[in-house]
Amino acid sequence: MDEPELLLDSNIRLWVVLPIVFITFLVGVIRHYVSILLQSDKKLTLEQVSDSQVLIRSRILRENGKYIPKQSFLMRKFYFNNQEDGFLKNTKRKVVPPSPMTDPSMLTDMMKGNVTNVLPMILIGGWINWTFSGFVTTKVPFPLTLRFKPMLQQGIELLSLDASWVSSASWYFLNVFGLRSMYSLILGQDNGADQSRIMQEQMSGAAMAMPADTNKAFKAEWEALELTDHQWALEGVEEELMSRELDLDGMFSQ
Amino acid sequence: MSKNVLIIVFTEMRDKLRKWREDNHRNSEQIVDVGEELINEHASKLGDDIWIIYEQVMIAALDCSRDDLAWTCLQELKRQFPGSQRVKRLAGMRLEALEKYEDASKQYDSILQDDPTNTAARKRKISILKAQGKSAEAIRELNEYLEQFVGDQEAWHELSELYINEHDYGKAAFCLEELMMTNPHNHLYCEQYAEVKYTQGGLENLELSRKYFAQALKLNNRNMRALFGLYMSASHIAASPKVNATVKKANVKYATWATNQINRAYQVSYARCLL
Repeated sequence: MDEPELLLDSNIRLWVVLPIVFITFLVGVIRHYVSILLQSDKKLTLEQVSDSQVLIRSRILRENGKYIPKQSFLMRKFYFNNQEDGFLKNTKRKVVPPSPMTDPSMLTDMMKGNVTNVLPMILIGGWINWTFSGFVTTKVPFPLTLRFKPMLQQGIELLSLDASWVSSASWYFLNVFGLRSMYSLILGQDNGADQSRIMQEQMSGAAMAMPADTNKAFKAEWEALELTDHQWALEGVEEELMSRELDLDGMFSQ
Repeated sequence: MSKNVLIIVFTEMRDKLRKWREDNHRNSEQIVDVGEELINEHASKLGDDIWIIYEQVMIAALDCSRDDLAWTCLQELKRQFPGSQRVKRLAGMRLEALEKYEDASKQYDSILQDDPTNTAARKRKISILKAQGKSAEAIRELNEYLEQFVGDQEAWHELSELYINEHDYGKAAFCLEELMMTNPHNHLYCEQYAEVKYTQGGLENLELSRKYFAQALKLNNRNMRALFGLYMSASHIAASPKVNATVKKANVKYATWATNQINRAYQVSYARCLL
């Protein structure tokens, strides 16, 4: 049976759908600039910088070690992985898990994150719900079960209405998540208006590289380097080179 | 020569400066000419670009001993960015140019007190030692720096140069190996490494140098220096009494091939000259 198709007043489109899109977008842009203003300087210690570079060097050794002579590769591998005094094996960093209690700057960071992101979303969601209440805004293109009705049709008291017809509050939430890609287009990557990324960060715990990771990272590098072999890329280089004449085009142009 | 550079149009001047800045050119006299005119005549049209142009022109002015211009630029930058470490480093560089090495060193120490991870200040301190001719100390300091910041390629290259000047070719080769690993497609590092190995001498090193000259040629067919290097190392190995017949034959083949390519290159250049 076909459900009765509702015909919505086109004023709804003009005065509800579009304003909500604009509001969401502008709030996102404002959030981005506010987060830039409130950004605290993340100071790195010398040890952290040094460790990250060591890890990069070890990774480069694994990937591009084939371009240096075998002896040099083995020398470096020995330096990193030696049983007695290899760097990766024996360097233990003090592990201080950055919990909000012990680290005051983490606490303020979390608070700032909450204030800039979660609070406005709740406030504006509530305001939109109050302002644009009592009518149906739009229809989602896929059928929903009845369970979604109280969630998505907040102001509308119709028992027989299809759950696909949603109110303006749900249109607002749809916008919040949908405009994410618009933000990266306009504000560039890594922008402060990208809510889902911020929520992910909050869930994983710390925004900076955790110190506990360093020990684990060292161990992982040690294992990876143990497995690496040296396949010298220059084995047959002369033969390859001399298989054809040199290409001297454009050599002596001004 | 500088007359060719005096371009009248403002946007062209600004774009030239930007290109030199991005390509890291060290044509200080040209930068001073163009930059000075830009700053004096067109300061208002530059907007926020002017600060980075001040920095660029100041460094070029220090190169050309134009302390007056350097001082003006520094004052403007100090006024706009008080307490900035980048500006402090520029002030230190000016002291270095005036040979006031003690004061410059103190300046850099104050930067490092605020921010121990600042690499620019550390590197300037090492270049003070180099300017004073204390190469042994410079090498030691640079080694300590590299222990902390293993990934700094500029520093590895500088260290390899210092070692070459001290004729410590083994350690210079180590530094160049680091560079070759991080930049496997750069033919110049391969060629420099091959030259160091060739200078070290000994049959094994000569073989290595021949291989790396060949690699440099493979990466860039037009590297004449590598071509000559290939010829020299191959003929050296072939002429050595310690090699067996097969190795000798192979190296003679390589040397002949290199000779042919060199002849071809000369013919190409001769043909070009005739045009």
